[in-house]
Amino acid sequence: MTQKNAKFKKNVYFVLFCVLTVFCWCPIGYGTYGPANRIFGMPDWAVITFIISIVFFILQWIYLFHTDLAIKDNELEEIFHQLSDLNRK
Amino acid sequence: MFSVAIITCICLVSVVVSYIAFRRGFTRNADDYFVAGSSLGYFVLIFSLLASFLSAFSQFGMSSLGYRTGFGSIFVLTVNLVPLGFLWYFIHKKTFLLGRSRKWMSMGAPFGERYGNSMRVLVPIVVFIASIFYIVAQVQGIGLMLEAMSNEVISYHVGVFFIPLFIAVYLIMGGMKGAAWVNTIQGLFFSFMVILLFFVVMSQQGGFIPTMDAVYAKHPELFELGQKGGKVWSLPMIFGFAAAMSLGCVCFPQPYMHAYSSRTAKGLKAMFLSFGGICIIIITMPILVGIASTILVPGLSGVEADKVYGLIASEVLSEPLAALVVAGGFTAAMSTVNGMVFGNAMNMANDLYKLAKPDMLPREQIAVARVCVLVILIISIVIAWDPKTPVAELSVVAFGMVSVTLFPLLGAYFWKRATAFGAISATVIGAGLNVYFVLKGGSSMILMPQPAFFNLNGFLFAFIVTGIVFLVGCLITKPGTVEKESLPLFFHPSLSK
Repeated sequence: MTQKNAKFKKNVYFVLFCVLTVFCWCPIGYGTYGPANRIFGMPDWAVITFIISIVFFILQWIYLFHTDLAIKDNELEEIFHQLSDLNRK
Repeated sequence: MFSVAIITCICLVSVVVSYIAFRRGFTRNADDYFVAGSSLGYFVLIFSLLASFLSAFSQFGMSSLGYRTGFGSIFVLTVNLVPLGFLWYFIHKKTFLLGRSRKWMSMGAPFGERYGNSMRVLVPIVVFIASIFYIVAQVQGIGLMLEAMSNEVISYHVGVFFIPLFIAVYLIMGGMKGAAWVNTIQGLFFSFMVILLFFVVMSQQGGFIPTMDAVYAKHPELFELGQKGGKVWSLPMIFGFAAAMSLGCVCFPQPYMHAYSSRTAKGLKAMFLSFGGICIIIITMPILVGIASTILVPGLSGVEADKVYGLIASEVLSEPLAALVVAGGFTAAMSTVNGMVFGNAMNMANDLYKLAKPDMLPREQIAVARVCVLVILIISIVIAWDPKTPVAELSVVAFGMVSVTLFPLLGAYFWKRATAFGAISATVIGAGLNVYFVLKGGSSMILMPQPAFFNLNGFLFAFIVTGIVFLVGCLITKPGTVEKESLPLFFHPSLSK
């Protein structure tokens, strides 16, 4: 994966995560004041919130463990080596 | 008195676990004592971080909030925490990499290296002031629950005094590794007990949906947004609660402590990701239990409603099982006190004391941290002696206040133009506003939308002001020597992934 491609992917994930964060922090756009319809005994906006948060969780899992965008253990040694070189300087 | 025996057993097990950590030599040097020699695996990390945040608030407070206000409570400490997987990773990836490389052992370390010693001193002080609210909330929860469980044979004040003493003993002995092990055991225990109580409560009315139907028939307002003419669970109120809790989680000492202690990148990522996922289950359940309790134990209000978790357990379970379930709440409170007290003691020993005496020996550093553990717990007992505010509200105030350190942290890691002046002025003004709001209008001024603040709550208003002050403060000043010298380290190309 080229550096440009990786940066683009990272930005896409970042924007997506920010949008989903807003939905997890506020039922804006899918929750209204007053009586709500119920699904599985719960208000519909609560069910939608749970679905959004589960989708968000899965996307984060993919980002952290199934892409090359997050740090991995086999890279740590090199990173620490470079940082310790800097420490010595 | 079966319940009291269980609590005593849990305290003794915690002390024994900590003693094992002590005997096996995990507290011999400063690196071992404060960050467990960066050796914690992902299972311990996940449950230790979880337990260090999930508290009396997550069970007693959230069941109380669900009982009093309904489904809107899910935005306080469940779905709103799912974004922490990415928020923690993006922000604390550098804490992990730089911390391991530079042997950091406190919250003040990154601020000190990036902005200088003033921030290294200021951050632990602000975090301590904020943490005290949160620790007191746990101690209050402990006192209230012990009183309820023992049918008032053991008074609130006896609980508030003795349980923190046990905590002091095992924190002083076991250090970070002991605390992490104790947290893990306590976290597993209370998670299991929450699940047990949830299924038993729901089975009382023939299942989850029939229970919710019965609640809806009596209290339809619990299923609404904008209750009481838009005053409860309005969108600004929800956003204020959700953002305060999430951003506070980023800024409390626990993610720093656990990032420094993580052995692997996989462990770090698993810990950050799992937190929100587990919270959706483990904290939603107490909320739903609280909502169901409106028909099983009706008529509670205010501080009394904080006892609903124990009361419903006594209502639907046999005495031994009820005692175990409430003991789960106890362990949650204890593990949070562990994390908060240890984190603050770590900051004081490494940031404040070491700055005053740079040449102190590791043994002296550990001794100072141990004294700090004791002092923080004594202060908490004194404040908790007279409970006036419901537990839930008290904790949210803490989260709001600590989040003012977010902008200086973001600036340290992601903005080369950030300056010490901007960081100091933002932290002082942000923390000052939070204190002022609490003194002037109590917790409601922090939590509830205020017309004077464009319908934002005090937390969000203070948070936005903090951000503006930081931005302006950095732009009107130039980075000094410390800031310039820190750039090659904080913006090293190897950290960019």
